[in-house]
Amino acid sequence: MDFFIQLFTDPVGFYNQHELLIAQIGINAILAISIFVTFYSGQLTLANAGFMAIGAYTTVIMSLYLPTPLPVDMLVGALLAAAIGFLVGLPVLRLRGVFLAIATIGFVEALRLGVILNLPITGEGQGLKNPSADPLGGIVPILISVPILTYLVWRLTHTRLGQAWAAIREDELAASSNGINVPAYKMVAFVISALVAGYAGALETHINFFVDPTEYSVTRTIQILTFAVVGGTTNVIGPIVGAVFLTALPEIVRQFAAYRDVVNGIILILVIIFRPQGIVGRGGLAIIAPRWWTRWRTRERAAAAH
Amino acid sequence: MSALLQLTNVNRSFGGVHAVDNVSVEIEEGTIFGLIGPNGAGKTTLVNLVTGYIRPQSGSIKLLSPPPPASEKGSNSPPPLAGEGRVGAAVELARRPPHAVAGMGIARTFQTLRLYRNLTALENVLAGMHLRRRDDTLQQLIPIPAFLKEDRRRWQHARELLARVGLDPDKFGNRQAATLSYGDQRRLEVARALALNPHLLILDEPAAGMNPAEKDRVRALIQQLNQDGLTVLLIDHDMRLVMGVCRHIAVLNFGRKIADGPPATVSQDPAVITAYLGSQAQKTAAHVPGSEEMDVAATSTAVSAEPTSPLLEVRDLQVSYGAIQAVRGVSFGVAKGEIVALIGANGAGKSTILNSLSGVLRPHSGVARFGELDLTTAPPDRIVSQGLIQVPEGREILARLTVRENLELGAWGRSNGRSAHRDIEGLMKQFPILGQRRDLPAGQLSGGEQQILAIARGLLAQPKLLLLDEPSLGLAPQMVDTVFDVIKKIHNDGVTILLVEQNALRALEIADRAYVVETGRILLSGTGAALRRNPEVQKAYLGG
Repeated sequence: MDFFIQLFTDPVGFYNQHELLIAQIGINAILAISIFVTFYSGQLTLANAGFMAIGAYTTVIMSLYLPTPLPVDMLVGALLAAAIGFLVGLPVLRLRGVFLAIATIGFVEALRLGVILNLPITGEGQGLKNPSADPLGGIVPILISVPILTYLVWRLTHTRLGQAWAAIREDELAASSNGINVPAYKMVAFVISALVAGYAGALETHINFFVDPTEYSVTRTIQILTFAVVGGTTNVIGPIVGAVFLTALPEIVRQFAAYRDVVNGIILILVIIFRPQGIVGRGGLAIIAPRWWTRWRTRERAAAAH
Repeated sequence: MSALLQLTNVNRSFGGVHAVDNVSVEIEEGTIFGLIGPNGAGKTTLVNLVTGYIRPQSGSIKLLSPPPPASEKGSNSPPPLAGEGRVGAAVELARRPPHAVAGMGIARTFQTLRLYRNLTALENVLAGMHLRRRDDTLQQLIPIPAFLKEDRRRWQHARELLARVGLDPDKFGNRQAATLSYGDQRRLEVARALALNPHLLILDEPAAGMNPAEKDRVRALIQQLNQDGLTVLLIDHDMRLVMGVCRHIAVLNFGRKIADGPPATVSQDPAVITAYLGSQAQKTAAHVPGSEEMDVAATSTAVSAEPTSPLLEVRDLQVSYGAIQAVRGVSFGVAKGEIVALIGANGAGKSTILNSLSGVLRPHSGVARFGELDLTTAPPDRIVSQGLIQVPEGREILARLTVRENLELGAWGRSNGRSAHRDIEGLMKQFPILGQRRDLPAGQLSGGEQQILAIARGLLAQPKLLLLDEPSLGLAPQMVDTVFDVIKKIHNDGVTILLVEQNALRALEIADRAYVVETGRILLSGTGAALRRNPEVQKAYLGG
């Protein structure tokens, strides 16, 4: 409760006290945007943790060995994640549903256990120290990126591309009969998702002093998936709400912090049973909007129809 | 008129089945072309070949000199379609992916509705305009009114398309597609196909599951679209619709084209009548209605009274799938020891009736009693244990299990293992086809052998009444004979049988009594012999 009281009565103090939490919420919100893009095009891909790792390691390795400025390192990290996303997508996107999910999980684990733990330049199992880490400065690009990315992806769903994604999600066969090049548009979604995940990984290294390979395992990917499931995927706000809610929750109920995963699991089950469309349903914040508001909207619409 | 689409010696087989066997068809520009044939004839496979969903193994599919797209009335001419070869010489369609075929101006609807169910009606149509929408990422990123002019034009055009197929855009435009009524969903699918601004519109069973009034509206719509200059390829089971609206018809059977010509010629073609009514049709067709034999048959109709104390009694049965009413009040009875047949064209509701008797489906209303058991509420396992056993359409054998294992599963519900074992051995002797293949995986049996296995499996549950759903489906003629011999044999052993068949004349040959089902209602009833000579039966199938 103190958490909320402080949030409203003393926002500046709240910000100073919870800076790392806010940064983490921002990172998770960006990851939620990343998984939203693939979900919106109807693909259950769980490779986000892998692309994060690529973004993070690339950024840190570049700041260790190259004189390039940090923003360039981060950009290269995100672009490399996108490029590898393209290569991974070539074979993997022929799969659908659960098979796609398993293949992408396979990619995450193969990257971590096969590549990161065996390449000397990544510090192998030891991880890497990040020379350019700046926890307090790192929060600024995060706080700027979240609204910009949200806006971009929200507008993207209204473009020709976004419309094709929605059609593919609803019915691939019908989409191709409408002239939509299904494999190509799926690939675009997968690459954009990889780009955003890689960017989130690069941002995260900026607030941590250390890149730790265990951060980028399947557990992380599943955590990102829960953002999308709990928040809902009919629009970009859904996964972000899920990310904010699930990241802040252990702070709100401190007494349960030790049982964080248990609480997350219970929330996930409750959402799947009672609100399968997620907290944010079709047409915005359905559950948060008061009932008179929805009633008023329906009446408005009915009036407009006549 | 010149040809628009030309198929030459197109072949496609799945495993050992020739789904499309050396078919050549030419569709003229501006026509309404009908493609008909019994269930499993290869019609939808042919459509999938043309639209790129399936690749032909040999043969060519050519789109000939497509004219530039006609611009829509009331809207600025749409931007040219993406895709090569829009204007010019013949374009080979085989081996092109579906989206490229769509880019050539070929739009289609699907036999089973494939709408974007969670999008609104308008969004469905807008998605259909994909190829006519320019990439607008930058305009959408800065959504100021000046940049969204194109957007508004597309919405306006989508509303016009909805209106064109008879959906009021104000009323239905913002409704989620899945919430529309079945007929409206079919119409919406047509609107979405039209959004492509096609040369050729392929409608795969647009009137399936519709009532007569809805069918009339579909018919009017097809004619209207054709008058507006669209070439239409129509596939449907409803002969009245096809015969009424098409100018040219091709008939497929077992993947082969058996007839091709104007409707009047095709409906008189002996090969077509055989394909639809079964191998005995030509003999019967030779009888001129009103001849002596006909009169004899007519008197015998009166003899076949409904049983007074039936084993199975069905009264006013109604069954719906969501918005579609498949069975609209059907009453009939089956007495102990009879073979009763339900015949009728595909989609008439025959299988639905069986499924609602065996507890797979729940009827909407009506009475269905089997002895003391109320079939409308009893759980399926109880229905089976009381001796009402269904042999489902398409056989549903377990392909990876051996013949023996399949039979053992049929005896699942029986408590006495030894007697079940004895019965299995008995069946293996009775049907040597199964005995010889006892250790083969059932999936390796031929279709007819699988059918016999499915019937034998049904027998192991010790039926009092056996429901057989399309036992001759997809079988070669000799195999049909074998299967019908088996049915006669088990009937002689004392099993009562309710048979559903598309192959009407074969079914009528062995049936004591039969009912002709059409669009969910019983049209005619009588003894098998009488109905066999009744010209109305042929009419029900071919739309006369």
